[in-house]
Amino acid sequence: MYGAPAAGPTVFDPMTLPSDDNVNSYTFCVELKGSQWFLQKGKMIAYYGQMEFNGIGHGRLDRLVRTSFHSPLHASDWVVAEGSGKMLLADRAFDVNSYDLEDGNLTIRSGNLLAFQPSLALKQSIVPGFLTLIGTGKFVAASNGPVVFMEPPIRVDPQALVGWADCPSPCHHYDHGYMTGLMGGLRAMTGLGGASGEEHQFEFVGAGTVLLQSSETLMAEQATGMVPHEPGVPGGGGVPGHGGQPAGQPRLPGQLGDLQRRFGL
Amino acid sequence: MAFREINSKMIEATVVPGQRLFSQRGAMLAYKGEVSFTPNIQGGQGGIASMIGRRVAGEATPLMTVEGSGTVLFGHGGHHIQVINLTGDTLYVEADRLLAFDGTLQQGTMFMGSQGGVMGMVRGQVTGQGLFTTTLQGHGAVAVMAHGGVIEVPITPQRPVHVDPQAYVAHHGDVRNKLSTALGWRDMVGRGSGEAFQLELSGSGAVYVQASEEKL
Repeated sequence: MYGAPAAGPTVFDPMTLPSDDNVNSYTFCVELKGSQWFLQKGKMIAYYGQMEFNGIGHGRLDRLVRTSFHSPLHASDWVVAEGSGKMLLADRAFDVNSYDLEDGNLTIRSGNLLAFQPSLALKQSIVPGFLTLIGTGKFVAASNGPVVFMEPPIRVDPQALVGWADCPSPCHHYDHGYMTGLMGGLRAMTGLGGASGEEHQFEFVGAGTVLLQSSETLMAEQATGMVPHEPGVPGGGGVPGHGGQPAGQPRLPGQLGDLQRRFGL
Repeated sequence: MAFREINSKMIEATVVPGQRLFSQRGAMLAYKGEVSFTPNIQGGQGGIASMIGRRVAGEATPLMTVEGSGTVLFGHGGHHIQVINLTGDTLYVEADRLLAFDGTLQQGTMFMGSQGGVMGMVRGQVTGQGLFTTTLQGHGAVAVMAHGGVIEVPITPQRPVHVDPQAYVAHHGDVRNKLSTALGWRDMVGRGSGEAFQLELSGSGAVYVQASEEKL
């Protein structure tokens, strides 16, 4: 009566599911053959076969964690999947992609990393909120919108940055030309015109690849763990830091506030 | 200077000295080269009068001027982006849907009541356009944001197009639009179909419709 269901949903079974590849842009299928994968808690949506999911940091998996997991205090957010079968990974309908590293290094925002092979070593980056993967293997990362690869030199909006590979860590870049001069002064005094929202970028130089997502919607950040409290460690609290705007000081209307103060205007 | 679509949510614009473009503030994702982003006091083109006009009309979106030489990537909020190339005709679009547009385009504000009087104003309320909408005229490219993908529906004199007001994004060409209502007693007793208001566009041109009834 209805004819052949020509364009219905594709039905997958254990045989037709891709192996270590995307099912669609939002779902990734990992095939386990007695091997292990690290994955972030709660990102597995379905699996076929015999699999075990173990929280890491105790007992049997100690050795694995010691060799390929270097942010010990962050370990409670990760589980190890082992067994054989196929496992589907997804993250809140964000775009998911896999990346292959060959004796390389890649630094990624902590919230974007979904899963990785234990042949890669996961380390905390000294840039807060980022993780570095070193070695050879495959990992899966999520992003809001497809990921775009760019080559330095490039300046990137902080919210659009997913990660970078093989190039030196970024530095901060400030564009505030419009805040200076006569018009800038008028702008500062009256607040007319406001701020462009693009005063601050991350600047990448050197050889490598920069990964961008297609929107400025950040994914929830995952704790990367604390760093040792010692002098010389960024974020380690060696030197007491300065807060932003002093509390209890009301901002005048029309002031660009912290922005101006930061540029010393 | 056209915009190049990198994927459905990101475009690349080439900026050359002497030509500027306008974009929504905060929509820059990355850039190469020496490019400056200046917040635009006037919220677009024209003199002080146009600025006041836009303020009154509620069509003053925060824009910034992009100048210099290099390439800039734009994207905003994970919305889908549709690039529309204008060749001399006028695009009618809500100002907050504008992601970026060429500085060569003439920006204006249109009173909805000027198209169909009181019904035009009612139409503006229903479509969420308010009493005013933004027009862009001339030769150049416009990047428009929408929730979900965008389809372009051509309008020919023989075939008017009916659009759900919430899915309407923009239209261009020589198009008259009117709100057609199909209100009946069922709507009064709360048993309506939910499609009581439709936007009817007739003439010749094109209308852009988003695949969602969610506003930006």
